[in-house]
Amino acid sequence: MRVLAIDTALEACSAAVLDTEQAAILASESHIMVRGHAEALMPLIASVMAQASLRFSELDRIAVTVGPGSFTGLRVGIAAARGIGLAAAKPVVGLTTLTALAAPYIAADDSLPIAAVIDARHSHVYLQLFGTGGRTLIPPRIVPLREAVHAAAAASARLVGSGACMIAQNWSNQEPPQLVDERRAPDIDWVARVGAAADENQSAPKPLYLRAPDAHPQSAAQLPRR
Amino acid sequence: MVVLGIETTCDETAAALVERGADGRGRILSNIVLSQNDEHAAFGGVVPEIAARAHVEVLDLLIARAMQEAGLTFPQIDGVAAAAGPGLIGGVIVGLTTAKAMALVNQKPLIAVNHLEAHALTARLTDGVPFPYCLFLASGGHTQIVAVRGVGDYVLLGNTLDDAIGEAFDKTAKLLGLGYPGGPQVEQEATRGDASRFTLPRPMFARHDANFSLSGLKTALRLEAEKIAPLSDQDVSDLCASFQQAVVDVVSDRLRVGLRLFRERYGAPTALVAAGGVAANQAIGKALHKLAFQIGTRLIVPPPALCTDNGAMIAWAGAERLAAGLTDGLDIAPRARWPLEEVAGPRAMTDPHPASRI
Repeated sequence: MRVLAIDTALEACSAAVLDTEQAAILASESHIMVRGHAEALMPLIASVMAQASLRFSELDRIAVTVGPGSFTGLRVGIAAARGIGLAAAKPVVGLTTLTALAAPYIAADDSLPIAAVIDARHSHVYLQLFGTGGRTLIPPRIVPLREAVHAAAAASARLVGSGACMIAQNWSNQEPPQLVDERRAPDIDWVARVGAAADENQSAPKPLYLRAPDAHPQSAAQLPRR
Repeated sequence: MVVLGIETTCDETAAALVERGADGRGRILSNIVLSQNDEHAAFGGVVPEIAARAHVEVLDLLIARAMQEAGLTFPQIDGVAAAAGPGLIGGVIVGLTTAKAMALVNQKPLIAVNHLEAHALTARLTDGVPFPYCLFLASGGHTQIVAVRGVGDYVLLGNTLDDAIGEAFDKTAKLLGLGYPGGPQVEQEATRGDASRFTLPRPMFARHDANFSLSGLKTALRLEAEKIAPLSDQDVSDLCASFQQAVVDVVSDRLRVGLRLFRERYGAPTALVAAGGVAANQAIGKALHKLAFQIGTRLIVPPPALCTDNGAMIAWAGAERLAAGLTDGLDIAPRARWPLEEVAGPRAMTDPHPASRI
């Protein structure tokens, strides 16, 4: 299976092409980026497709991170992936940034739990906790930092993601966490690998915001009626 | 040539296919618009993040439908156009990124269209109006008088200094509890009201520039309404009628000045063209007719579905630009702010001293 992977949900702009039959990443590029994904992404995709010497029609699917992350960033990736999917008539699968962050560590050793934590500001984090065998113990959610510390420490979890250090600094166990990887974005090669394995029917490329839009109904300005 | 057009700058998600013949005539092959009105109604106005979320959920499905209705496949189109601004940046990013993806996969040129330019050129799609003409663009986000001299050659003759006309209607509706969007509601109430009951100002009246100001009118309306609150049904109707009459007077006056400026600089316009949702207001439409008759030019008002935001206008503007050899790279940036006068035209490439700008 040939997969084009895209991630713009966090602090990178990345694309990669994976061929599962050769078990090889054919091309992969990642740039640290806080803003500017909308300008950088499409030339980047053109570049990895050229490096992989592939036409879009030769892909089997497109994989994209759907969040949680920057609202604008994750929409850039999803709009690109769905646009390519439509134009090339290829299926698109979505996976969470949290899964993609945890995936290499689950693959390396799935006997130890791992918590993927992304800084969500205002003393909150996006959290997903994986137990032995990579099973999800806590599905993606936004929680106060304290709650995330409690959950991760109780499971003696390894920590990955932009919130890893925040959790480690507030760690409540005597034993320090076994691993703290404060990476700001997933490894794009792992987005491709998880995307290749994803079940097409269970992985719709829809945004996962975990936060409601900041908007309040307005009625204060209205004058009273008789 | 056939161009796909994508519009996502505000609260309509739209996709369309338009054909431009070698003779410059246009034909709409499909035109799909999905309005988000219900999603924003509770907030009394468009909430940017809600709009952006809605666009990304449906845009690819709308494009697929537009292609299907036109009976076309991607290899049969000649270009992909998207509104790259001005507008709510979250939505613009979704539309432009999707367009880039379509262009890259199909190896078609990308055309980043200015949303205002698309409104400005719509009359050429519907009525084949030749350059130069005078455009009155009035919507929830814009109120401008523009000399349209050619593709990519626009001179702003008048602009609002504060609120757009549509915005003033929306705020009036909100104040009076009439729901969103406010334009049609206020217009309907006004038909039952007495326009002479309240004395409201006509801001900028008889000024020598062609600019607008609406915020003072809005404040004056609120003060009048507060004096008599709580409001009866008749009070609301009378307030709406008085407000609408003030807007009609302001539009007539400002446009008269704008048309005079046009004549002084560029000679007689081939037409007065109205665009934007406000053109659907019948009282304003009547005033425009009268004005065009008085100065001896014809009034062109595209049908309402092409006056409000739509994909066909983006596709058409894209086709006009493509025909002029104007295309964009895949790295082009979406723009929240993008004045019409900063739109590049063919002459900008060869002429280092474009026509004088105000």
